[in-house]
Amino acid sequence: MANLAVSDSEKTFIIHGVEDNLRCDGRGCLDYRHIELELGAAPNCSGSSHVRIANTDVLVGIKAEIAAPDHAAPDRGRIEFFVDLTANADPEFEGTGGDELGQQIAGALAEAYVSKRFLDLSSLCIVKNQQVWVLFVDILILELGGSLYDAVSIAVKAALYDLRIPKLTVSIGEDGKPEIEVSDDPHTQEPLAIANVPCFVTLSKIGSQFVVDVSQEEAECSTVNMCCAIAPNGRMATTMKTGVGSLHPDSLIEALQLAQEIGVALHKALHKQFVKAQELSGRTNGFLL
Amino acid sequence: MSADIDVRLFSSRSRSKSLADESEFMGTRAKIVVSPGTTITTDGGFMRGHGTYLEDENGLLSAVAGVVEKVNKLITVRPLKTRYNPEVGDVVVGRIVQVCQKLWKVDVGGRLYAALHLHSVNLPGGELRRKSIEDELLMSQYLIDGDLVSAEVQNVGVDGAVSLHTRNLKYGKLGQGSLVQVSPSLVKRCKTHFHNLPNGVHLVIGLNGFLWITHEGEAESSHFAQNLERVDYHTRESICRTRNVIISLSRYNIMLYDTTILYAYEISTDYSIAQLLKPEIQMEVAHLTRQKLQLEG
Amino acid sequence: MSGHQYLSEEGFRVDGRRAQEMRKLDCSLGVFAQADGSAYVKEGNTVVLAAVYGPHEVRGGRVKALHDRAVVNCQFSAATFSTAERKRRPRGDTKSVEMTLHLQQTFETAILTKLYPRCQIDIFVEVLQADGSILSVAINAATMALVDAGIGLRDYVCACSAGVFNDAALLDLNNLEESQKGTGLTVAILPKTERIVLVDMSSKIHSDHVSKTIEAAIEGCKDIHATFDAKIKERVGRLAALINTEN
Repeated sequence: MANLAVSDSEKTFIIHGVEDNLRCDGRGCLDYRHIELELGAAPNCSGSSHVRIANTDVLVGIKAEIAAPDHAAPDRGRIEFFVDLTANADPEFEGTGGDELGQQIAGALAEAYVSKRFLDLSSLCIVKNQQVWVLFVDILILELGGSLYDAVSIAVKAALYDLRIPKLTVSIGEDGKPEIEVSDDPHTQEPLAIANVPCFVTLSKIGSQFVVDVSQEEAECSTVNMCCAIAPNGRMATTMKTGVGSLHPDSLIEALQLAQEIGVALHKALHKQFVKAQELSGRTNGFLL
Repeated sequence: MSADIDVRLFSSRSRSKSLADESEFMGTRAKIVVSPGTTITTDGGFMRGHGTYLEDENGLLSAVAGVVEKVNKLITVRPLKTRYNPEVGDVVVGRIVQVCQKLWKVDVGGRLYAALHLHSVNLPGGELRRKSIEDELLMSQYLIDGDLVSAEVQNVGVDGAVSLHTRNLKYGKLGQGSLVQVSPSLVKRCKTHFHNLPNGVHLVIGLNGFLWITHEGEAESSHFAQNLERVDYHTRESICRTRNVIISLSRYNIMLYDTTILYAYEISTDYSIAQLLKPEIQMEVAHLTRQKLQLEG
Repeated sequence: MSGHQYLSEEGFRVDGRRAQEMRKLDCSLGVFAQADGSAYVKEGNTVVLAAVYGPHEVRGGRVKALHDRAVVNCQFSAATFSTAERKRRPRGDTKSVEMTLHLQQTFETAILTKLYPRCQIDIFVEVLQADGSILSVAINAATMALVDAGIGLRDYVCACSAGVFNDAALLDLNNLEESQKGTGLTVAILPKTERIVLVDMSSKIHSDHVSKTIEAAIEGCKDIHATFDAKIKERVGRLAALINTEN
């Protein structure tokens, strides 16, 4: 996000508004702006999605490849995240300008997905110790207007919902080594179990209140942000504090509780739309509308 | 607790064909639409305005995609979207981006930053007018990076350099309120750009597409003392509603001036303020505003 | 693969097109709110997004403002999932740098830079799906984004790729056709005057075939121009009506 300067009076207006639970655009403190999504946005990927929240636009493409597993987890597949902040979103991201922020986001995602209870990658194991499916999750940030972590996590979850892994047969070859045959038939592709995959909810502290989905002006008024990855059952996968301010322990607990409530509601709303979106997967194009 | 989270599919967006169809019934004057490279005229008697360029053998050509406008001998092409092109006398709202020696640099949404010279502002007691005190620190006490000001365009140089002035009591530093940025092509040139709307809202419509929505108390107060008192809830609601209404109108390319904003505001009262953020409600409000404008003539 | 497989005896290409048939063209303008201009262009299965910022103050220390005209700054980038085989990095590789230079040279010619002294114009291109002819689609997308931003252009810049297979010129090459060695060039023109602003020959072409290929590509560019111009004029006609009624 470009550094938007805001005057002290504007900040005062915003902070008073938050205290009255009436933000500049009429929303309450805990209201998201509307979220748009579609699946199958990048047809040459095994799974993809396109998500937009106000002025934040994210495109995710997942490619599945066969490779060696991680030494520490020989019977599980791998997932790798790469976040590319394009210059389209902000001229500051030209060249390598967006690399640092991109790595931060990728790291946060990796942390949120590390536990088996949120994403079980054992179904991606092909031959233990030798071959597993590796999911390369590539995230493209096309426009940046706030709630970046939230939008990215929603897009990743949606792309995982859209993901179809080809079925394969493993046989033992003449030399005793396993041979893998990947099926070309699109009808034998399997979805991944993603029911427990978490999403990020970012809460920013403005004055004494926590606010969700902040606009760029509101972001200038907050000094502390709590970014929590919440699973559909309310469990917390990871939390991050960003910003230069500090939090009283009571405030921290309050933020975590709010994030939980909002996270659960978010997942419910998403799941309903995922089903509908899957029916139209690959047939809609949000850019041409 | 919060309202339900609205998650929807891209495919549920409806194209704004309904608004477009109406234009055919409105009997608009025949417009000449041109695109880059189109020859407008080979007649040598015309003056080159914005959006055009001269080419020796071919006469006057269009440089952008837009509508041709002829005013006496001046031909311009107005594109749908453009950065702000300042003209002397324009009322604008700008944001201070830098404090320099004897001037402030102001972002007015144009190609280059505008300059607000120290000698072009009205100051309390004329403190800073003394030549010996040209300290950046003292200037910062009045206006600093991030502050918003309303001003008038004083001069536009040949190279595009713009200078502003606030030598009038109605101009100066802005206080509490909300800023909305729209395309300059949507702002209609009027007699006055300062409006007191009903419900205690004061509106400054900058010709540069920066619209400032604040409470009436601001308009009357001096622009030096910063009023940080809480704005009352009712007025705040009106400010937020006005903001959302302006965004709805701009999304559907409706010209912004007091009448359109007032009509749209009245129409919007059927919905809650937050509902006005939804695309379908925005379309409805824009559509009804348009209809009302046609009826009222 | 021999030339026969690219153009069958009945005159059909691998994707069913005729030799000089262009792929289906879809585009939309003003896709993003924050950039001054943006465009989404889809030619067959090649999809490119372009965003334009400016004209605005010159940013950063490395680029200095020019007193009499604008500085044009371009970047070509391709999403890591845009190609069949995943790319490791979206930009910074030789190919992207080369493409960036092509864009730079092309648009420095086409933009009326003298209208914007001391300013900078940024053109950022992002390939979302790559199925051949990415340079020409990138140029077309950038042109549309510049038109959307209301930046003064001498003329549109329309680009098209062409190649020779079995003595026939094929237009608008897809990835399979492009990967065949010894063929393929990209041409960009200013359609009104048919002046060429870019020719990129990345592989060898037999000298006998060069002019035929270039001529075919120019026809392809004119085709693109006709489609774009019609689309732009319709859009301006429709939206301008909404803006100007009350004037």
